Amino acid sequence: MLELRRLSKGYGEVQALDDCSFRVERGRMLGFLGPNGAGKTTAMRSVFNLVRLDSGSVSWRGRPVGQEERVRFGYMPEQRGLYPKMKIGRQLAYLGRIHGMTNVEATAAAERWLEELGLSDRIKDPLEKLSHGNQQRVQLAAALIHDPELLVLDEPFSGLDPFGVETMADILRARAAAGAAVMFSSHQLDMVEDLCQDVAIINHGRVVMGGEVRQLKMDSPYWVIEVEMRAADRDRMSRLDAVVSVEFDGYRHRIVVRKGGDLSDLVSRLDLGGDVRHFTFSAPSLSELFREAVTG
Amino acid sequence: MTSWQAIRLVMGREIRERSRSGAFIASVAITLLLVAAVLFLPLIFADDDVHYELGVVGEGNQAVIDSAVALANSPGRNVRTSIDVIPFSSRDAAERAADTEEVDGVLMDGREFVVRGAGGEAGGELESLLQRGARSVQIESLVASGAGQVVEILTSAPLDVRSLSGADTDENSERSIIAFGGLMLLYMAVLLYGSLILTGVTEEKTNRVVEVLLAAFQPWQLLAGKILGIGLLGLCQFVGTVVLAMVGIELTGVVDLPAFPVDSLLVLLLWFVLGYSLFAVMFGAAGALVSRAEDAQSVVAPISLVAVAGFFIAIQAVNNPTSTLSVVTTFIPPTAPFVVPVRFAFQAVPLWQMAVSVAIMVLTIVVMTRLAGRVYLGGLLRFGSKVGIREAFRTAEL
Repeated sequence: MLELRRLSKGYGEVQALDDCSFRVERGRMLGFLGPNGAGKTTAMRSVFNLVRLDSGSVSWRGRPVGQEERVRFGYMPEQRGLYPKMKIGRQLAYLGRIHGMTNVEATAAAERWLEELGLSDRIKDPLEKLSHGNQQRVQLAAALIHDPELLVLDEPFSGLDPFGVETMADILRARAAAGAAVMFSSHQLDMVEDLCQDVAIINHGRVVMGGEVRQLKMDSPYWVIEVEMRAADRDRMSRLDAVVSVEFDGYRHRIVVRKGGDLSDLVSRLDLGGDVRHFTFSAPSLSELFREAVTG
Repeated sequence: MTSWQAIRLVMGREIRERSRSGAFIASVAITLLLVAAVLFLPLIFADDDVHYELGVVGEGNQAVIDSAVALANSPGRNVRTSIDVIPFSSRDAAERAADTEEVDGVLMDGREFVVRGAGGEAGGELESLLQRGARSVQIESLVASGAGQVVEILTSAPLDVRSLSGADTDENSERSIIAFGGLMLLYMAVLLYGSLILTGVTEEKTNRVVEVLLAAFQPWQLLAGKILGIGLLGLCQFVGTVVLAMVGIELTGVVDLPAFPVDSLLVLLLWFVLGYSLFAVMFGAAGALVSRAEDAQSVVAPISLVAVAGFFIAIQAVNNPTSTLSVVTTFIPPTAPFVVPVRFAFQAVPLWQMAVSVAIMVLTIVVMTRLAGRVYLGGLLRFGSKVGIREAFRTAEL
């Protein structure tokens, strides 16, 4: 388990991390969310000692993280970084070796990963000759080459096409299933909801919401009703006590209501006659939790 | 992983990738070509041996011709001059031969020289040759001494030259060749490999691979591996160039090499290592301060200036290896690598000065490595605009 405990880091006026704490469990995936500038990258870099913290500590399996531990971690920085002119096979093998693999192991692992990512025939090409998407794949392989116990990925899905997203998601799932702790930051909340068991939402350097996604949803003080129907008096509905908000996207009405509120007035105002095509009653989505946590 | 393993990995990558890169191979090729050019071009562009066909009529010609050839081939001239003598029985026949350019000219009775035209390279050269020959024959007859002595006098250096520094002057000029050549190589090598470090560090920061590397390595391991790797490559190229230059000098005889100057070479090598190390750590720290290659030039300007200053002070030391400036700069770390080998080549640096200078240098390198290492790490972790050196220093502890 990776534990970030009470991290603080200021850059002059800006407080990038302000008493930030959360954990990443082994065998699980954590989505690390927050608006731009919330401190996500700083927090991730602190795991690799790339940030000199003002206070706080990072520990892995109960012990402070040092070079010994970091060698068994995998890191994919936000700004992708590899040697553009180095051949990808040799480059991956090198990255394996700096993480403690022998030359033979690293070379074999590089070949295996390139095979898996469908880049076997490009093994002797320099990175810069590859397309953007393929470079991203190599970058992923670079983070995974040494079968890390902990994976920290900064925006791994940004810039990927749908196939790339799928490959990336499959690989991350497989790593978590194999027992690794996986954390990644993302702005694609639907994907995080899809992939991650846990989330940590950070704002102004502080974790404002965190824990198991399912639990967070259940703990939410709201329900969401989605109705697709011909007409409704939205103004009237939004004035009701139990109703938090009503939105209409041209097809569906999305009505957020307070848990435990009296819904009978609302129900009486819904025209649930013959042409209702959709009706759901559910916990809010991660997007709603996020918005709530960050703005509310 | 031990530190040494980490350093060796970084070093190995630098050597393997750089020695295969086109830029490096080109730089090796260009250096070797330059050395070859310096050594061989004088030979290629040297005049061919000069040969004249001279018609003669009458008596008293041979003495003039002999003197002329002897003067032309006086020691120290690269061009060999020879004159073929073609005797004619009559002046008319000889003049006809000159007119049809069968011969380059005709010497008559050791007194008159006949050529076809007034100008013409060959005629002019031959004329001045024979004039000198005739002059020496005239002087000889005036002093009525034995033949050949005047030629000897005219081609000798009658003044004995004595150098106050004790070395004889021939050796002095040979030493200045070693000093000057060594200085040039040292200066080029320090700046060339220093700038390789600079761009290498900046590149890693620019393409952010440094984040991945620093996640696994300590910053000082990364810097040390890089400096050692590029340094070893540089050393090989440096030694290779020096050896090629020596062999070339032996083969072509362009310059007279003093008995193989092992001591000078060893001192040159020692100061290459010291000078390179000092400049390498400074370049490494400078490279970490910028995120873009375009900004790199502005941060190295002060370092390059110091190297240039060292170079010019060393050039002054070639002429005056014991001046106050030369002595003082022997003890100043950034100038010492250039000045000391020059002074050593002239045997103008006492052993104690050398020892103190090396000690100061080593101490400075140790201190600079720690300071530069801190700036390096601090610089690497601040992306975006150029990082101030103080800011970088404050960002990190090593």
